[in-house]
Amino acid sequence: MGTRTPYDILMHSLPDAPASFERTLPDLDRTPAPWEGRVQATCECLSWCGTLDHLERRHAEDELGETVYARFPVHARSVLVTAHSLLDQGVISEEELEAKMKEVRSRFESA
Amino acid sequence: MSTTHEHSHAPIQDEDATSEFNVLETAIRELAVEKGLFSAEDHRRFLEWAESRGPAGGSRLVAKAWVDPGFKQRLLSNGTEACKEVGIDWNDPTGKGTPSDYTYFYVLENTPEVHNVIVCTLCSCYPRPVLGMSPAWYRTPNYRRRMVRQPREVLAEFGLDLPLDVAIRVHDSNQKSRFMVMPMRPDGTEGWGEEQLAAIVTRDTMIGVALPQADWKADRSPAETPRSAGR
Repeated sequence: MGTRTPYDILMHSLPDAPASFERTLPDLDRTPAPWEGRVQATCECLSWCGTLDHLERRHAEDELGETVYARFPVHARSVLVTAHSLLDQGVISEEELEAKMKEVRSRFESA
Repeated sequence: MSTTHEHSHAPIQDEDATSEFNVLETAIRELAVEKGLFSAEDHRRFLEWAESRGPAGGSRLVAKAWVDPGFKQRLLSNGTEACKEVGIDWNDPTGKGTPSDYTYFYVLENTPEVHNVIVCTLCSCYPRPVLGMSPAWYRTPNYRRRMVRQPREVLAEFGLDLPLDVAIRVHDSNQKSRFMVMPMRPDGTEGWGEEQLAAIVTRDTMIGVALPQADWKADRSPAETPRSAGR
């Protein structure tokens, strides 16, 4: 299970959910964005290769998603908690993630 | 690390949020590939499998069962095997399924006396080979906790008010078992073919939070058919 302390890189660089978000269960229904499907495939790969067990990640998603990352929308919590868990395990560092996010953002903006 | 929320920008709308989460997703995946945890090819293979799955598979199963009593019997007695008859193999894409999908598959038949609904209280197990990616609400602790305690109230939130003489059975998925609901064929569909029937078997009817209606199709927007009238 991940630690209950949020990571700066996740808290500072990502946006809050709009205030009107997630009022009732049916309100959560939406067509997933392409990146959401890619997150699930990443989770499958991480579980398949033994780095981050699927069930362990889901439990962390429950715990962290309702506490330290509660201000983010439900559909974004898989990617947040996957990042958090990889940081917890030392698989990636905050510096690495920050640099990679900067690189990716720059690439997207110039595309 | 910090426990405070110190960034200065105002909340932004979902499209912008999507792009920032998109950045995070890409960063994690690329770092994992660079570190040799898995390859881009591995990722593409799992993604391709997931994107090829959706509720249409489950809809085909139900529609076929409605018109073919022999298939219905086989589907109810061994769901995993019967899926192969409509081209769905639970061993895909690795030969052993995915890390979260290699399980036994059970189809639950609704009757006039019993309405079934599925949930996963432990995490968010879902019959992805036949229904695709689970809806966001299915994965929430809100749905998972309340469905087992207050099923009628939760179903009512989805617009499904069942008579009190209809028993509700909530089936809790787990690492070994996946469930899907076979709803009752609605009136007004006599003489319909499998394809026409499959169109009204929506994702929510196979989770158990809705009932199929002869005039409601998954690809028809609420703007065309008022939700209150169509469900």
